[in-house]
Amino acid sequence: MSNSLTLAPAPRSEAAEQVRAEVREFLAAELAAGTFRTHVDTWLSGVDPEFSKKLGERGWLGMTWPKKYGGHERSAMERYAVTEELLAAGAPVAAHWIADRQSGPNLLTYGTEKQRQEILPRIVAGECYFVIGMSEPDSGSDLASIRTKATRNGDGDWVVNGAKVWTSNAHHSHYGIVLVRTSPSDSANRHAGMSQLLIDLSLPGITINPIRILDGGHHFNEVVFDDVVVPGDMLLGEEGNGWHQVTAELAFERSGPERFLSTYPLVAEFGRRVAETGDPAQLAVLGRLSARVLALRQMSLRIAAALDRGELPNIPAALVKDVGTTFEADVIEEIRKVVDVTPSLDSPDPLARALAEAQLHQPGFTLRGGTNEILRGIVARGLGLR
Amino acid sequence: MATDQDLVVETVRDILGSHEPFVLTADRRWDEGLWTALAEAGLTGVGLPEEAGGSGGELADAVAIVRTLAAGAAAVPVAEQLLVAGPALVAADLELPSPEQATTFAIADSVTVHPVDDGDGPGRFTLSGTVPDVPWAGAASSVVVLAPAPAGLEGSVLALVDVSSLPATDAFNLAGEPRGTLVLDQVGAIGALLTPAQADEVRARYALARAVQLAAALEQVLAWTVQYAGERHQFGRPLGKFQAIQMELAEMAGEVTAVTALTDAATQALDRAENVVLAAAAAKVRAGAAVEVVARLAHQVHGAIGFTQEHKLHHLTRRLWSWRDEAGSELVWSRVLASGLLADGPDGLWPALTRVG
Ligand SMILES: Cc1cc2nc3c(=O)[nH]c(=O)nc-3n(C[C@H](O)[C@H](O)[C@H](O)COP(=O)(O)OP(=O)(O)OC[C@H]3O[C@@H](n4cnc5c(N)ncnc54)[C@H](O)[C@@H]3O)c2cc1C
Repeated sequence: MSNSLTLAPAPRSEAAEQVRAEVREFLAAELAAGTFRTHVDTWLSGVDPEFSKKLGERGWLGMTWPKKYGGHERSAMERYAVTEELLAAGAPVAAHWIADRQSGPNLLTYGTEKQRQEILPRIVAGECYFVIGMSEPDSGSDLASIRTKATRNGDGDWVVNGAKVWTSNAHHSHYGIVLVRTSPSDSANRHAGMSQLLIDLSLPGITINPIRILDGGHHFNEVVFDDVVVPGDMLLGEEGNGWHQVTAELAFERSGPERFLSTYPLVAEFGRRVAETGDPAQLAVLGRLSARVLALRQMSLRIAAALDRGELPNIPAALVKDVGTTFEADVIEEIRKVVDVTPSLDSPDPLARALAEAQLHQPGFTLRGGTNEILRGIVARGLGLR
Repeated sequence: MATDQDLVVETVRDILGSHEPFVLTADRRWDEGLWTALAEAGLTGVGLPEEAGGSGGELADAVAIVRTLAAGAAAVPVAEQLLVAGPALVAADLELPSPEQATTFAIADSVTVHPVDDGDGPGRFTLSGTVPDVPWAGAASSVVVLAPAPAGLEGSVLALVDVSSLPATDAFNLAGEPRGTLVLDQVGAIGALLTPAQADEVRARYALARAVQLAAALEQVLAWTVQYAGERHQFGRPLGKFQAIQMELAEMAGEVTAVTALTDAATQALDRAENVVLAAAAAKVRAGAAVEVVARLAHQVHGAIGFTQEHKLHHLTRRLWSWRDEAGSELVWSRVLASGLLADGPDGLWPALTRVG
């Protein structure tokens, strides 16, 4: 099989097991104290700045970053253990998730020293949140067709006009890394002329309009830029290098445990039910789902290990996300076929609640971060077909 | 730099090169010539300690051999010998038959075992009953069976039975590999008593051996299919340029990668001498689930030519369809997996999952 898809097995990490145990203890105490309640898909919907700050105090944000920016210089494997424990427990991690996973590493690679000094320590503290400003009303899968435009004014500042959509948690966040057109589009080279700007979301001219998802929840937004003046030194990386920077981000965005554990709290609840009933049909389904979780963990761990080695495994990351998000959705159907439970958001039965939450969030899993059709195109390229 | 393992794989590939897979029939139940060539090269004893008469080497080498042979649809009981029967005998301190003769493995749940006290010490038994689904029945010269312990004792007996003169019924899996039944009538055998946990480990090794074969065959089927999609032209371009076909191949790749990740993890756990029951169960279940997607799509992409006996694809797809139900079905192992994961109670599922690997 093509080497661009296979990665070496992840080494075992004692340090990761150590931090895993600490996170479990912390989560058990927080659950017991009632500071949070388990939900499905909390990395989209569980915004809780207090909780994020606590994680910052424990040293569980910016874990792999250099100490000079407040980071903890730990391995990707240790970070992996922390993130998957939080997701498995359905903890409220949405506030800081994007900043910790993606924007921080992005700043480390492309940011200026000033940008890093100013922002990274605040992310590490769990006090600074980011959004991904890529999609637009007319540009989804075909991201190269974006129209949001930034032009230099006489002072060397950027003037931004346009609109981003589906911007998760913009209403709670401090900054966006926004993909903009800094030169007119060129049909001969569709990926040229784009740049990333680091934009303070409190700047004048920015309007954030809520877009509600199926269950009425407000998680994503339309962000409109109307002559927004962004200081010239807030360019991220190189002018014109935006496409390259965006695609490099994707190994971080696509490979983590959030790409198969969004509905894990439902699996856990189902596990509790099966432990009670001992029903053989349910046991078989739980076994099948567990085997899929175990395989996805191994796949995702291999990517964490590759990131530790300094690689950017974009193609395997696309593959994990395709298989993982398919699983997140399958979980719902597999479970509902063997339990006699009516999904309901306000049921006293936690299984009925988890089923309801998972069902109403399901369409998002295989869309966000690149649709599965697009991901399979990337995998096909890895197979040498394109 | 070539590692030892690469060399082992190279050697197996060279030997395989002159043994094209053939259609198995009642008269041609295995590739005896291939077995002899492998045995002469010492490859049928790899991973088994030299003190016990094996060729030495690591478990990983044995796995690499099994994978290469599985991908080549080789009709020889090497997986059974190197990954199940041999290691089980070694672990039970029983004497290994010469690795040059083929030893297979079977679960003998309905065989009754009686201890024999003939003054030659413990470890002698007589076995009576039928042993179904014996892989390579009629080809292998001995079979290691796992049977219930004699009445009054807990656990199981692992016994080495010489079957060279015993007739086996004709039965074959979907790929034509022999899976006959042996009838034992007061057959004497050397054996050892295993605890229930040890017996579970042996069963898990058997499942893992099939999972390793499945993983290798799945990878090979994907590679063949990708290659075919690049070669076959319709509407003026290679099939692989059509997006619908790319989607199917990418889906296959996802399944294959998941299986490999899990069988690798399970064999590593085995290498570290950890309890491998849950890891093996997971590998077997996941591999079985992947077969549905990979075999179906491989045939779809190959079109009518892949549906013929002329084309090589069936050598592996038929084995995939068989192996997934052997050594314990997905249903059996998924229940073992779930029960094991819930052993620490209703809240123990996640911690158990992270312990398995
Ligand atoms: C919960 C959620 C959170 C999100 N958060 C963010 C965020 O924070 N920031 C952000 O920038 N974006 C975000 N997104 C947007 C997300 O990245 C886009 O939804 C995604 O890229 C798809 O774009 P689209 O919705 O416009 O669908 P379209 O691109 O219009 O696609 C519609 C359908 O057509 C298929 N399709 C399109 N092109 C092709 C092709 N070439 N071949 C085959 N099939 C094709 C797609 O796979 C899909 O099935 C979020 C989305 C969701 C659901």
